[in-house]
Amino acid sequence: MSALVNKLRQLRTESGQSPAIALPPKPTISADVLRLIQGRSRIQRVTQRATSADRFVPGVEIAPGLYFIEAFMDWGCPTPLIETAFARWEEPVAHHRLLHFDTETTGLAGGTGTRAWMIGAANWMADGRFRLRQLTTTTMGAEVAMLRTFADWIEPDTVLVSYNGKSYDSPLLRTRYRLARLPDRIHGLGHLDLLHPVRRHWKGVWENCRLATAERELLGVVREDDLPGSEAPAAWLTYLRGGSAVNLRRVMTHNAQDLKSLAGILLHMARLGATPINAVDMPQ
Amino acid sequence: MNALPDRYASDELVLRHPSDGRTLAQRLSKRYAARITGAFMVPGREGSFAPLPDDLPPALAQALRSRGVEQLYSHQAEAWAATQSGAHVAVVTPTASGKSLCYTLPVITAAMTQHAKALYLFPTKALAQDQVAELLELNQAGALGVKAFTFDGDTPGDARQAIRLHGDIVVSNPDMLHQAILPHHTKWAQFFENLRYVVIDEVHTYRGVFGSHVANVIRRLKRVCAFYGVSPQFILCSATIGNPKEHAEALIEDAVTAITESGAPTGDKHVLLWNPPVVNPDLGLRASARSQTNRIARLAIKSGMKTLVFAQSRTMVEVLTKYLKDVFDNDPRKPARIRAYRGGYLPKERRAAEREMRAGSIDGIVSTSALELGVDIGSLDVVVLNGYPGSVAATWQRFGRAGRRQQSALGVLVASSDPLDQYLVRHPEFFQGATPEHARIQPDQPLILLDHIRCAAFELPFVGDEMFGTEIATPWLDVLGEEGVLHREGDRWEWIADSYPAIAVSLRSVADGNFVVVDRTNGRQMIIAEVDYTAAPVTLYEGAIHMIQSVPYQVERLDWEGRKAYVTRTQADYYTDAIDYTKLKVLDCFDTSNAGCGQAHHGEVHVVRRVPGYKKIRFYSHENIGYGSVNLPDQELHTTAVWWQLAQVVLDAAFEDRQQALDGFLGAAYALHIVATVAVMAEARDLQKSVGSGDGAWFVSADVSGRGQIRGTDGQPAALAPDAPFTPTVYLYDAFPGGIGQSEPLFNRREDLVAQSVTLIERCDCRGGCPACVGPVLAADEDAATTPKALALRVLALLVAL
Repeated sequence: MSALVNKLRQLRTESGQSPAIALPPKPTISADVLRLIQGRSRIQRVTQRATSADRFVPGVEIAPGLYFIEAFMDWGCPTPLIETAFARWEEPVAHHRLLHFDTETTGLAGGTGTRAWMIGAANWMADGRFRLRQLTTTTMGAEVAMLRTFADWIEPDTVLVSYNGKSYDSPLLRTRYRLARLPDRIHGLGHLDLLHPVRRHWKGVWENCRLATAERELLGVVREDDLPGSEAPAAWLTYLRGGSAVNLRRVMTHNAQDLKSLAGILLHMARLGATPINAVDMPQ
Repeated sequence: MNALPDRYASDELVLRHPSDGRTLAQRLSKRYAARITGAFMVPGREGSFAPLPDDLPPALAQALRSRGVEQLYSHQAEAWAATQSGAHVAVVTPTASGKSLCYTLPVITAAMTQHAKALYLFPTKALAQDQVAELLELNQAGALGVKAFTFDGDTPGDARQAIRLHGDIVVSNPDMLHQAILPHHTKWAQFFENLRYVVIDEVHTYRGVFGSHVANVIRRLKRVCAFYGVSPQFILCSATIGNPKEHAEALIEDAVTAITESGAPTGDKHVLLWNPPVVNPDLGLRASARSQTNRIARLAIKSGMKTLVFAQSRTMVEVLTKYLKDVFDNDPRKPARIRAYRGGYLPKERRAAEREMRAGSIDGIVSTSALELGVDIGSLDVVVLNGYPGSVAATWQRFGRAGRRQQSALGVLVASSDPLDQYLVRHPEFFQGATPEHARIQPDQPLILLDHIRCAAFELPFVGDEMFGTEIATPWLDVLGEEGVLHREGDRWEWIADSYPAIAVSLRSVADGNFVVVDRTNGRQMIIAEVDYTAAPVTLYEGAIHMIQSVPYQVERLDWEGRKAYVTRTQADYYTDAIDYTKLKVLDCFDTSNAGCGQAHHGEVHVVRRVPGYKKIRFYSHENIGYGSVNLPDQELHTTAVWWQLAQVVLDAAFEDRQQALDGFLGAAYALHIVATVAVMAEARDLQKSVGSGDGAWFVSADVSGRGQIRGTDGQPAALAPDAPFTPTVYLYDAFPGGIGQSEPLFNRREDLVAQSVTLIERCDCRGGCPACVGPVLAADEDAATTPKALALRVLALLVAL
């Protein structure tokens, strides 16, 4: 194995690619491979090997490697029917049909190589309480169970609510369902992607239309010690490779707040109605 | 009527009445006998026909008849039978033999009767668009209900989803399949689930490095298809190469039924090999190929024959077009008779040119290799090649453009002063008897294979002992795990990185260190060219004069790490020539055999290449007017090579002194390199040469006076101690890391190569040596016994098999 790695490393340098970092030797493999090549491989980052004592993942392990958290709270005070004119829909939607969702993934590269490792979903119960559920995978093998569980939360009349989910989270999940050979329950669902109406109202008024900006401007939410979304992939990879769970937990907190903000922005937009208003609204 | 007097009145001596290929060939042979080194004729053939098959859907048969197709050529009927039996098929017939019906019929039939889908892969967008246009016409003629679309980089975003869901026939190219379709295959789920046929056209172009990459893309395609539960049938089309069935089978890694006999009728084809006359006997300088091509094309068009001229560069297309337009298009009120065609023109312009050619309203076309591939431009009578296109197969492919059913056609190959051209044109028997080159690929070349396993792992996880191509993927997956892009859990390797691997893999190179050339003239910042990693140190050093389309630029700054060269336009009256040293060390010897009084070997070598400086050489006079130094990192290479060496005692007996032995070796290496390049259908820079000692202690390069100069491992001139061991060796190595498969065939033909090198030198007309046989020499080396030619022959004589 080390001979193969060395050979590839060398071949790679010769062909003009950047040189590699030394690796510890590993057990050898097939002789053919060793004979053919002498290079070295393209190492872009050192794979982290350090293990950590802090491996605590909150929640109940409902399947091997799949952790589930459920919480109930009062949040939002929704009316029985939510107005949807702000999204240019014709009919209002019963509040219990709405399923707010947000994923945490392995990155933005797109394509079949990107996966979701956490799905968070929130909805209002019939009695108006807000239920927040999160599924977190701690192994790659737990993905199928996560996808199945999330599919069970979806009814034919479910309306998804997201922030940029139409372009990102939804296609990503549909790809994962297809790769896992599971039925795609997301296809054909109504989907309120709040990014677009927010842009219509406030593009050019705020410095940007990211969720963090919208929650601050519309809801007065200011997060403390928040882990930026761009660091979520690394948080999971670290845990997967045996490292600390501290950032994984921070991502779970981040995701939970994302869901709450999503619901809050939805209610705010519903009350605004169809016409964009340029006046800055007071927080609720 | 031309307004100006015809300044080529002497042309009338050649032309009398409208003529055909045979007559023109005869007249040219008579008048220019001294320039024609070879003339032969390929006889034409009667057509061989078959009725439209019974199992064709009636609507499709009706659509064909309404477009004038009442029966099929025999090879089209054979292709139908083979595809209906479920076999993979390779159709190997010449251009304009109706190859597309061989795949159109099975594909449309399957679309109509089973809602089956097909993927077409073409090497160029022009060909792809032509195909879709033809399919749409046929579809309309019979209201067949088949939807065909191109899917490439130009397809607008909002159209893409519609094509994925509703396209029956998707026409794309290997790069798009590699970078856009496969890594997003779930979006194409419906398409793949119903995929029945994969049609790949012009497969002879998928050879060498490019072909090795494409073979791996096909492996990935088959793997994704297996995920969706399908195993499509491949229909491949190829021009005539030496090994079409073997090549097709290597590309798809499965058995193929090859259809090689064309049923299309053709007329006789006359071929002339033309060497421009010598204008300076001392220096061996010849008239330019351009002047000859101009004359031949002019005569052909004047005698009423439709003529196509192939030029090797876009600039030369413009030059030749201008010459011909001066004669034929100098009345602006009349429609143009001469047209230029090349890749740089807008698609609309190219489509217009193709239409006019098909309609017959153009008399002369000048084109680059863009017209070598199958775009339909109607029938032509004469094809003139301005310079040898680099392979026998490509030459016949171009000649194939000329020919009508009943009339004889003419093809003329005009040689330039390039050593390969001169070799070909002086060995007409080689050209006439040569089977077209074999196309070779090496899909398991380690760097290429690793890149594609990486892409495949992005597309679908690898599980257990899964194979990729012919090997178990596990060792490669471990490497990718170390790289940090894959994570292993149990027996599964899954993609974990935030990156998109296909973006970083170019199907046309092994290295990804290409340099871009940025023009900074007058403050702009425009990328005007791309140069690969191995060519960069000899063409992009600071101070270099770098020619792009014959326009000179000077390199002001080279950013080695950033892979950028900054240039400005220059008016300098000189060009630059890099001094290039390579030294070689043998790592492993796979095979050895005797070669005359010496030995030939095949094995693995380590090559170091350094460019210490460059010469400034004035244009036209070729005087050396100065030097510059270059400060660039050495380039190292592990690759495969074939090499010859002679023992010391043998050399001491054959030569008066070591300097002579060295000079002889350099000349022999030069000749062997030319001959070997032709033998493996390689581009000149894919196969490199070097002379040194087998242990890497010293190496030899030609110094400023053309004499062999020994240099030590540090690149500085050195003298060899009189009693030191002396075993000069000539190496021919593959210029790609890991080798690309040229060394083994060369080793197998080693005796042939030595014999051909001897013939090459003996037959050369020059006095003491020239760039067409042993390399450039000075007038001073004219002493009969020790000319560079004589010395090279002496070395080769020692290597000729006893």
